[in-house]
Amino acid sequence: MATERLLVPLSESPTVRQTVAYAVQSGLEPKPETLVCHLVVALPYEADVPGERESLEETKRLLERAVSWVNEDATGVDTDVTCETAVLGKDAYLFGPKDYAETFEAYAAEHDIDRLILDPEYNPGASAPLLQPLERELARTDVSFVEAPLERSVTHERFTGVASWSRFLSLFVVSFGFYLILGDPLYWFDLVTGTAVGLIVAFTLSHVTFSTAPTLRETPGRLLRFTLYVPYLLGEIIRANLQISLVILRPSMPINPTVTTLRARVRSGLPLLGLANSITLTPGTLTVRANDQRLVVHTLIDDAREDLFEGGLERAIRFVFHGRRAAAIPTPKERGDTEILAPGYISGSSQPSAGAGSSNSDPPETTTDGADASDGGDEA
Amino acid sequence: MIDTLYVGAIVVLLALGVFFTFVSAMGVLRLPDVYARAHTASQTDTLGAGLALAAVALALGWQQASVYTVLLLFFVFITNPTAAHAIARSAAEMGIEPWSGADGDPSSDGGAVPDGGEPIDERSSEPGHERETTEGSHGGDPR
Amino acid sequence: MIPLDINELFLVGAAIFVVLAIAMFYRAVAGPTTQDRLLAVNVLGTNTVVILALLAAGLDQPWFLDVALIYALLNFLMAIAISKFTVERGGVL
Repeated sequence: MATERLLVPLSESPTVRQTVAYAVQSGLEPKPETLVCHLVVALPYEADVPGERESLEETKRLLERAVSWVNEDATGVDTDVTCETAVLGKDAYLFGPKDYAETFEAYAAEHDIDRLILDPEYNPGASAPLLQPLERELARTDVSFVEAPLERSVTHERFTGVASWSRFLSLFVVSFGFYLILGDPLYWFDLVTGTAVGLIVAFTLSHVTFSTAPTLRETPGRLLRFTLYVPYLLGEIIRANLQISLVILRPSMPINPTVTTLRARVRSGLPLLGLANSITLTPGTLTVRANDQRLVVHTLIDDAREDLFEGGLERAIRFVFHGRRAAAIPTPKERGDTEILAPGYISGSSQPSAGAGSSNSDPPETTTDGADASDGGDEA
Repeated sequence: MIDTLYVGAIVVLLALGVFFTFVSAMGVLRLPDVYARAHTASQTDTLGAGLALAAVALALGWQQASVYTVLLLFFVFITNPTAAHAIARSAAEMGIEPWSGADGDPSSDGGAVPDGGEPIDERSSEPGHERETTEGSHGGDPR
Repeated sequence: MIPLDINELFLVGAAIFVVLAIAMFYRAVAGPTTQDRLLAVNVLGTNTVVILALLAAGLDQPWFLDVALIYALLNFLMAIAISKFTVERGGVL
């Protein structure tokens, strides 16, 4: 093997430096004549979010730093080490793990990549942790990948201390406010105990509460737009409720349950939660599953399904989180992101990794007890 | 005048709340499978509870207790859909099939066509045959 | 503070809610799957919260709302915990 080609996706993570070091070291191990490190950064889709230019600048800086790290690590070896950098996802919609995996796969095929080195703390963009679902998706493609085996001391450290001051402060304010609503805001005892309780809550839970740290620049706007969103949602709920009530109270009960999927163009974390909960709150549509951006929605009547595919709620959620400009996107129907699933979907291909496919009412196999194992033995 | 309006608003809110809760109860009793029941159980019920709580908040007027009620309302609106989602998801993980119209047998339905609108057309063509299947499929019709 | 007839109205409303809650028992007992039962109990719990709130207004006992708040919390936790438990039976919650 004359040339070894590695693909290293980078992100601003605590372990990115070690990942690059591991990539170089492992790439040099088979003693190739040349080692090509493809350093790529995959940008999450946020073209309509202000601050895109900044994140592009940051990306460039990250890539420059990574190139210098590679050169640093590769000094004094007789292999010819070169770096190639690329920014992925500028012309694609990268939302969930599946999109990332597909992008990496395409890149790997194009550049004849041998291996993909994954950062154990890989987290592109400011969304929920991505590593496990990404590994699951990558396992489905034919890219061979390894997770860099690093000492993950950083992780443990992060879970004891304060994650970030903005999270800490906002959680403190929220819990203190909640305490005072339940108590008496003017009584000194409640103020003192409330402060203590708020501090404890904020200190112990601040790193798990927000998937993205609230910022002064965006959070007030979001809260304001959320208050605009609530009346709209209430209107939708009441309108759809009347429809459903008519259907249920009619003796013939003309329902037509279907299972549909919808690829939502909102980011993971709070926006996706908001969308899924709003869909569930609007009668006639019920979110059964949210696999990354792919929502499995059970719809009761045709009108509700049409409403869902028109994407009014999705646009509203985008408005809440990213402002007016982001709300102007084509409806899911126009994008072709909708699909009506055939019956038998649930037991057929529900979740490849969990193996919930048994059509009898057995729970999916758990690895804990011996009873399952003996059952399997009988069948075999 | 203001008094009658006030009382009237409370009465209307309460009546609507009772109505939607009634619809939700009907839905939970009549609908054919767990997914369909989850629709009314979570949503119609949430609206019913919300309206009734709004009536309570209105009646209590401007005091600490009505702040509680608003908090309760907010809480119900957040937790109910989440709980319904959890229940539906656990049903899906257990491999429970959604009831899908004709004969109560999922595999023989026209909906087996994965893409396109065939299932819709088939359903709307004969409104009468739903009633049969409602009675036949699960036998759980209490009325 | 609150006129008498409104109080009675709330009590009547609470009574209707109790009847509707009792109707849920049918599904809780008969429901073919665990999820059906869980759903029925969840609706019953929501109804209980509303009943408590209506009683608070009807009997003029605002502290009932404290109970309602806690009950709503527990109801939510129960739904989450049991639906999680049914999926990974034998696993720890």
